[in-house]
Amino acid sequence: MSGGLIINVGEGTCGIAAGAPEVTELLKKRFPDATFTSVGCIGMCHQEVMVEITNQDGKSYLWGNVSKKNLPKIVRFHRGEADLPEQLLIKSTDNPDTEKSQYLIKQTRIALRNVGELNPTSMAQFQERGGYLAIEKILKGEKPMTPEDVIAEVKIANIRGRGGAGFPAAIKWGFARGAPGDVKYLVCNGDEGDPGAFMDRSLLEGDPHSVLEGMLIAAYAIGASKGYAYIRAEYPLAVEYFGKALEDARSAGYLGKNILGSDFSFDIKIKEGAGAFVCGEETALLSSIEGERGMPRIRPPFPAIKGVFGHPTIINNVETLSNIPWIINNGGSAYAEIGTDQSNGTKVFALAGTIKRGGLVEVPMGMTIRHVLEDIGGGSPTGRPLKAVQLGGPSGGCIPESMFDTLIDYDEIDATGAIMGSGGMVVMDSKSCMVDLARYFLEFTQLESCGKCTFCRIGTTRMKELLTKICEGEGTMEDIETLEELAPNIKQASLCGLGQTAPNPVQTTLKYFRDEYIAHVKDHRCPGGVCKGLITHTIIQKDCTGCSICERYCPVDAIEGTLKKPDTWVIDQQICINCGMCVEVCNPDAILAA
Amino acid sequence: MSNASLEATVDPAEVQGWINNLGTEPSAAVPLLQAVQRAFGYLPRKAMDLIVANTEINASQLFGVATFYAQFRLDPVGRNLIKVCHGTACHVQGADRLNTSLRHILGMKDEEEDTASNGSYTVEDVACIGCCSLAPVMLIGEQAFPNLKGADAQRHLVKHAKTVGEILPGQQDKDDEKGGKS
Ligand SMILES: Cc1cc2nc3c(=O)[nH]c(=O)nc-3n(C[C@H](O)[C@H](O)[C@H](O)COP(=O)(O)O)c2cc1C
Ligand code: FES
Repeated sequence: MSGGLIINVGEGTCGIAAGAPEVTELLKKRFPDATFTSVGCIGMCHQEVMVEITNQDGKSYLWGNVSKKNLPKIVRFHRGEADLPEQLLIKSTDNPDTEKSQYLIKQTRIALRNVGELNPTSMAQFQERGGYLAIEKILKGEKPMTPEDVIAEVKIANIRGRGGAGFPAAIKWGFARGAPGDVKYLVCNGDEGDPGAFMDRSLLEGDPHSVLEGMLIAAYAIGASKGYAYIRAEYPLAVEYFGKALEDARSAGYLGKNILGSDFSFDIKIKEGAGAFVCGEETALLSSIEGERGMPRIRPPFPAIKGVFGHPTIINNVETLSNIPWIINNGGSAYAEIGTDQSNGTKVFALAGTIKRGGLVEVPMGMTIRHVLEDIGGGSPTGRPLKAVQLGGPSGGCIPESMFDTLIDYDEIDATGAIMGSGGMVVMDSKSCMVDLARYFLEFTQLESCGKCTFCRIGTTRMKELLTKICEGEGTMEDIETLEELAPNIKQASLCGLGQTAPNPVQTTLKYFRDEYIAHVKDHRCPGGVCKGLITHTIIQKDCTGCSICERYCPVDAIEGTLKKPDTWVIDQQICINCGMCVEVCNPDAILAA
Repeated sequence: MSNASLEATVDPAEVQGWINNLGTEPSAAVPLLQAVQRAFGYLPRKAMDLIVANTEINASQLFGVATFYAQFRLDPVGRNLIKVCHGTACHVQGADRLNTSLRHILGMKDEEEDTASNGSYTVEDVACIGCCSLAPVMLIGEQAFPNLKGADAQRHLVKHAKTVGEILPGQQDKDDEKGGKS
């Protein structure tokens, strides 16, 4: 009965975390004759674990939120023993336009064209979906393309670097093409340092061959013979799958000497990062590849002239590269047609935080932020209103709800004080604290500053200290002024982008949420209820059931009372550390944090 | 506080094997340290000395690299490693509480401490592990646990400890207090 079923399970890092291996194991027991494929993450992280099952009649069903518990319902349906379990269905051949599938329908997927659609370890599946056609077209198509033709096509597409800086790819390639030198390098930047972003992980993990093909094309365009893929240490699956892709491409003649019989030779080595945010910065990345501490270098000379081991080098982001094969196949003008005047094509965002439908979202430039958050992301999951969205991580800023109609466009977003960044989008509702967020980022940049520039090293330390002081309720109005004074100085006197952007989170929160800073300083109050020094936890005895669960979980034994006697339960304020564990475990919501 | 019983025994032949594979030039520094850390969970002094003695990498470069990158640690780790994500998404959704609850059940009271007194677990903070839509997240060994509350983190740890036969110092304290009930 089960023979002939085709079952795809999403087994990216997030799918695995949500329990995909367990689900696969059970499915294999129930349907021993089915064909199983492990696919990358399609980016509907809020629906993990996801399983797509195609019946013998060719009809397919995509199931979401699958667990050990609800799996029997799906199994019985595919055996013809039960009705379709509506609540688990994302979409099916008969019913492609469901509410849940809007998340995918409302996207325009170019960079993510294959992610979640194929088994990332299968080069055959990649080729069935048009993989390696672009490099074939360039090297041995009817009209082979010269490197200059490739650069011209990418120039028409007007794609800007997706790693954060937004520099036009074709212009950079032109520099390296023209730079003197026999040996040139192409580096794929897969460091993805923004904590709170995972676009590049999903691409490397879910569609490694597209990144590889993009690297081939870029290398051909600039005349590089050697390549590195710098992948961050926290992404073991990406390293594994990209490594497998390299091996397969090499044996198939897409990588190595005389690719496809042409005189173009290029090979790639993987370099694993070792956990340093600054190594995502291109000159620090060069130092890191060379085996040094990841310290940025003075530019000029730019890497395009003098990069890895002194040779001309182009560094491109993972997402930038994975767009390139599409551009060659479909033409630069097809890409340029999407988006706005100055920002063409699409952008992938990693949507997380307090949002109903988190995951990967790829939209055309020129959409509003609100469209992404509300129409695709589904808005707030908590019932509390959304307050802000953080773009660009430690280098970026917070955009308040009142400005959610800002267009996704490099210049429009820059004008708010935030940046497009690499695509991290962390959403916050009213129970978040903007001062704490600024403190969090400055703690991050202070730790990650390599220490070379005084203003970055000491300046971020001072900012962090001042913000901590404000979060603890010890701040003064003068501290806010000092922050405002430090910000432009740090920006001006730092060598690399880390220091040049580190004050952004402080400046944007001060610009849009100044009242929160003032509440901390003047009223000793944290409006979001986050800063531990400014809140207290108390039991609302009328709502308490006396179940004692809070007592059990309190890490400092600050809670006491008699079982089943609500009016005896109290929190000892002298002992309480305001960690909030009790709030999390309390079923009747009887603990107030304010 | 170093845990003498957790110090690794370094076999020079093994270190030489990595050097043979990864090379002796300065650019091999990071991969070599990664190989050492993969094997021992930290960078034992003896392994670093062997690298310096048998490659072109000098001590200042090697130590400089070892202390620059967050991935490397110079102190031994517990028998099991827990990584708590402190990326932005995890931070705004309460990652701090995971640390509080894990440290509590592991009996780690001193802020400087990152390994339980019986050497069972080490708790490490890491930047984003790339599952931000499932925040907050932690890893025990290789396994990731998504969408956690503080109490969930404890529950998973208790379960893990049972399967690997570890004792959780903090849990013991509490049980003793309450006359053995769990
Ligand atoms: C502190 C810092 C961190 C960075 N991190 C990354 C990163 O993780 N990934 C990335 O692709 N670019 C990162 N960048 C940007 C790179 O320096 C560079 O602009 C980019 O990799 C170029 O590729 P693109 O033109 O394709 O965007 C970072 C820049 C700075 C200043
Ligand atoms: S922020 Fe924790 S997984 Fe990304």
